Amino acid sequence: MNRITVPIGPQHPLLKEPMAFQLTVEGESVIESTLRLGYVHRGIERLCQERTYVQNIHLVERVCGICSHVHTTTYCQGVEALLGLEVPLRGLYLRTLLCELERIHSHLLWLGVLARNIGFDTIFMYAWRDREIVLDIMEDLSGGRVSHAVNVIGGVRIDLTEEHRDTILSQLDLLDKQVAHLLGIVEHERSLKARTQNIGHLSLEDVRRYCVVGPVARASGLNVDLRRDRPPPPYDRLTFTVPVHEDGDVWARTWVRMRETVESVRLCRQILTLLPDGPVAARARRRVPAGEVISRSEAPRGEVIYYIRSDGSDIPARVKIRTPTLTSLITLPTQLEGVNMADVSVVLAGVDLCIACADR
Amino acid sequence: MALINLLFFPGFTFLFMCALFFEWLDRRIIARFQERVGPPWFQPLADFIKLLAKEDIVPSGAHAKAAALLPMFSLTAVLTAGLYVPVGNVVTASFEGDLIVVLFLLSLPALGYFLAGWTSVGVYSLIGGHRSLLQYFSYEVPFLMAVASPAILSGSWRIASIAAYQSQTTWGALMQPLGFILAIIGLIGKLKRDPLDIPKAKSEVVAGSLTDFSGRKIALWHLSIYIQTVVGIFLLVNLFLGGSSHQSLFVALPIFGLKALGILILLSMISVLYARLRIDQLANLGWRVLAPLALIQLLVTIWSGG
Repeated sequence: MNRITVPIGPQHPLLKEPMAFQLTVEGESVIESTLRLGYVHRGIERLCQERTYVQNIHLVERVCGICSHVHTTTYCQGVEALLGLEVPLRGLYLRTLLCELERIHSHLLWLGVLARNIGFDTIFMYAWRDREIVLDIMEDLSGGRVSHAVNVIGGVRIDLTEEHRDTILSQLDLLDKQVAHLLGIVEHERSLKARTQNIGHLSLEDVRRYCVVGPVARASGLNVDLRRDRPPPPYDRLTFTVPVHEDGDVWARTWVRMRETVESVRLCRQILTLLPDGPVAARARRRVPAGEVISRSEAPRGEVIYYIRSDGSDIPARVKIRTPTLTSLITLPTQLEGVNMADVSVVLAGVDLCIACADR
Repeated sequence: MALINLLFFPGFTFLFMCALFFEWLDRRIIARFQERVGPPWFQPLADFIKLLAKEDIVPSGAHAKAAALLPMFSLTAVLTAGLYVPVGNVVTASFEGDLIVVLFLLSLPALGYFLAGWTSVGVYSLIGGHRSLLQYFSYEVPFLMAVASPAILSGSWRIASIAAYQSQTTWGALMQPLGFILAIIGLIGKLKRDPLDIPKAKSEVVAGSLTDFSGRKIALWHLSIYIQTVVGIFLLVNLFLGGSSHQSLFVALPIFGLKALGILILLSMISVLYARLRIDQLANLGWRVLAPLALIQLLVTIWSGG
């Protein structure tokens, strides 16, 4: 049968963000794939060198549309380390609360995208309906559904009252029930399993070789999670498990992400009950002493790394961002080799790409 | 009288209205299952009119004549099929063997769909066309065997007599539950509905064969698919639910309508419940599960005194 080249992107119904694939297809199976990126490059790293540390918080929030809070958290964490600033515990707890809510939001959104790509619209609708609960909580907390602008250098700018805490706890009860239902569907629905099992397989060696992080790595049996391995406070005071699966296919990734969502709801509840009293932020100086720092945190898609260098002024000399999507992008040609044309969308959904993060 | 039959009831106008109504109800039911609101009742008509008014583009390199003729060809085939399927107690045209003609006419759109992909220039259309043909070979054989069983049971290849036979004895769905299930699955495959919407899977091949169509042509394609839905459902009502042969038209029609709605709701529920199959999974299902089961149903029917 003749080989044909199928373009996927920059605009295609299966892509939520612009990137371009050229798939060489023989019959229905993919022989070769090439990837082109850079459609949403905004030069954020360069722009960071032209703005003050405070202004940059708002800039790095716009690196990603889904995990925006984790970017500002990692950035602030780094600047605070450079300043030698002690962040009040209540501030750290609230920061982490939003991080975990964002993880739930990101994973539910992802489940919806996967379901849509395998033609299971009902799960897509259910996952996005349940995601609304998280978005409502976040809107109540910060005023923003997706971009929260919660972090400041030295803490957070939001606080919460007793009644507000109880409201969130009751909303989490509802969320718990819905997420358990979705997890049940992922574990038992046979048509979903038929489309996701044994597809996009990554072995443990591949994961190690490509330095894959996050749920994709954990679904291949690599037991890494920054929240547990090098816990920044308050993770050292919270109890949670890190779900790991051995299969390394798209279904394993789905399972890992849904289990993580369950754990995140648990974490949110712990944070709210353990929330200490006190101020939410400490005052920070505008000028940052010269030095360099690497700040890391566990984003929904895996480890985010910020490298910040200061020359003693109020403007950073360099901000370098490494997002988790980069590590999964490199594995795509391996995953796509030989798969059925119909499974391309499943493989692409499986790694949970964030092109805005990768392009910056 | 023949002209009225052809143009109004149960001809074009009736089928057109049914198609719009079924489309709306289908979308509405699916929306309610997915906790959405769903479209208002006039949405299918509004979509149809909007598409008629839109610019009609044929990409350069595509076969312009084929692109213009194929949607009309499909529409003609399903409308003609509609004439031979009794609605309620109204039998417009009927002869011994009309079941075979209807089955033939109902499978013509699959050919049209394949040719539409074949004659256009896009790769998505090409893949969609290939897939529709593969899908056709997977569902058509079990479907034909499944609808043959009630014909054998009643000893007639005439749809009206099969329905009459069942209204005297009992429903085909009760006597041949296996055949009924297989016919429903076959119909889903024929109509390219979820979860067997493989040739037009949005996240894989955009809109399959119809990717490059626009304006009037896509409107006619959609209409032909929905009229095919209506005729397919009417056919199953006659073959498996005993049709409706009450003396009075005003009793026969509502009963027939209720039975048809029952099948439509069943189809909507199935499309909500499952993820889309892959084409090789469908081929496996069709040849390893559905075809043997259909054969068993057929043999049991013949054995038990067809």
